[in-house]
Amino acid sequence: MMRAIETSIAAPDGVPEPGPQSVTARGRAIVITSGKGGVGKTTTTANVGAALAALGKRVVLVDADVGLRNLDIVLGLESRVKYHLLDVLEEKVTLDEALVRDKRSETLYLLAAAQTREKEDVVTAQMKALVEQLRDRFDFVLIDCPAGIEMGFKNAVAGAQHAIVVCTPEVSAVRDADRVVGLLPSDWRPELIVNRLRPQLVKKGKMLSVDDVNGILRLPLLGVIADEPGVIVASNRGEPLALDPASETGAAYRAIAAKLCGQNVPAPTVNVPSGGFFSKLGSIFGGRA
Amino acid sequence: MSGRRIVITSGKGGVGKTTTTANVGAALAKRGRRVVLVDTDIGLRNLDLVLGVEKRIVFDLVEVIEGRCQLRQALIKDKRFPSLSMLAAAQTREKEAVSGEQMKRVIEELAENADYVLIDCPAGIEHGFRNALAGATEAIVVTTPEVSAIRDADRVVGKLAAASLPLRLIVNRVRPEMVKSGDMMSVEDVCDILQAELLGIVPDDEEIIDTTNRGEPIVLDDQNRLAAVYGKIARRLDGELVPFTNFETPGFFGKLINRLKVG
Repeated sequence: MMRAIETSIAAPDGVPEPGPQSVTARGRAIVITSGKGGVGKTTTTANVGAALAALGKRVVLVDADVGLRNLDIVLGLESRVKYHLLDVLEEKVTLDEALVRDKRSETLYLLAAAQTREKEDVVTAQMKALVEQLRDRFDFVLIDCPAGIEMGFKNAVAGAQHAIVVCTPEVSAVRDADRVVGLLPSDWRPELIVNRLRPQLVKKGKMLSVDDVNGILRLPLLGVIADEPGVIVASNRGEPLALDPASETGAAYRAIAAKLCGQNVPAPTVNVPSGGFFSKLGSIFGGRA
Repeated sequence: MSGRRIVITSGKGGVGKTTTTANVGAALAKRGRRVVLVDTDIGLRNLDLVLGVEKRIVFDLVEVIEGRCQLRQALIKDKRFPSLSMLAAAQTREKEAVSGEQMKRVIEELAENADYVLIDCPAGIEHGFRNALAGATEAIVVTTPEVSAIRDADRVVGKLAAASLPLRLIVNRVRPEMVKSGDMMSVEDVCDILQAELLGIVPDDEEIIDTTNRGEPIVLDDQNRLAAVYGKIARRLDGELVPFTNFETPGFFGKLINRLKVG
């Protein structure tokens, strides 16, 4: 059931050069962030990226979690990573040498984080310049932000122009997401993905609904992803669910990608009527926060 | 005699550090131990929410360190467990507001009047992580049976070893049926990769989402199976030999283990 391990190192991949029609249009750099860890930033980055590439977009995924990288695992590319972000920033290798092409898509690339270095090794200005450079060559630059709001967060946000905030229906995740939105540039309008929703629990009043979450955060809703064990299985296997035509969760990721490309997409349907109102939720932001 | 100072850490976020801190702390207090929980996630505090004391915070860790209040003034006593109290993190400050040396002094002072000081560490391995470690003399590493969580835990285990902190492992959110079907690593596999001694196995239980949202540690509910699980972890910390419940089967996940060795 597990796919075979790639043992050979792939030959350096060529990176698509900008086509004639896109010379003037630079790509969009979007940071995927959350504050709280473990809410699904990396899984979201991999799946939205794969879905965008399936729409024909040129996509690069940048793992900004220096020291605790995981995007390579979720994409199943860990054995192909030879060089990483810091090698590029420190000019040890060229960008082309460090970019790893996805096995399944010709237009999807990964720039891995260093595993044995510290976030403090990244110079914010260099990170910004790198993202600028990537925007010349790709339609979408998706930056997978580390958890927390320390240096790694600041570096991940530095080159971006837009943010997707990932939040689960839990009070702690909502509180952290609220804090992160406050730390993003004030002229941004971050979009929200509510992740790991269990409609049955919402119905029973045992989980916050999408409306409860967004009643606090008040962000444009980009998508809703249901909680299903298949996500863990897919991550362990390194196969993004977005590429599985039979998966409902995959369809939800594809809808998010279509929306990011400016297509009109119907509102997410995983939502259930707001049954469980958590009176507690309002009060957690009313204190000294 | 000064109490034990244990940091609860993981590398990866969202694997259950804060929930573990609250429930292990409550389980120890239930056994009559004097326990202080310290939230070191400055800027993104959540331990107060999980314990349901968010409205009772008057002073926080940073204010203690800056000398704006006495340590005892900042301690919030839990109303359900008389020997349990917590020190909240500041919500609107940065982790850099505190140094390791300052943190160490606070933790040592707390340990003078407690049997256990449990330090809830932030995600990641940055400044906040180093601060959380500064005052600790032992560690609990929390991980879930997922490749990414284990890879991060492995990195943290290395950092703990470098800091000469002895550690034990809690494997959280285990789904026995997924282990059985080969879709999840077994606890055995996890311990094998991390080469760490096991402290506890906590099954995945959707009740925990609800109790966490409500600010009621699950150990309050004696009927809940997780209450028994955390009770066993507390007894093991106290030095008792408690056998592990065998709800996991020895699943074979060899290829997965290989993937981690590549990385």
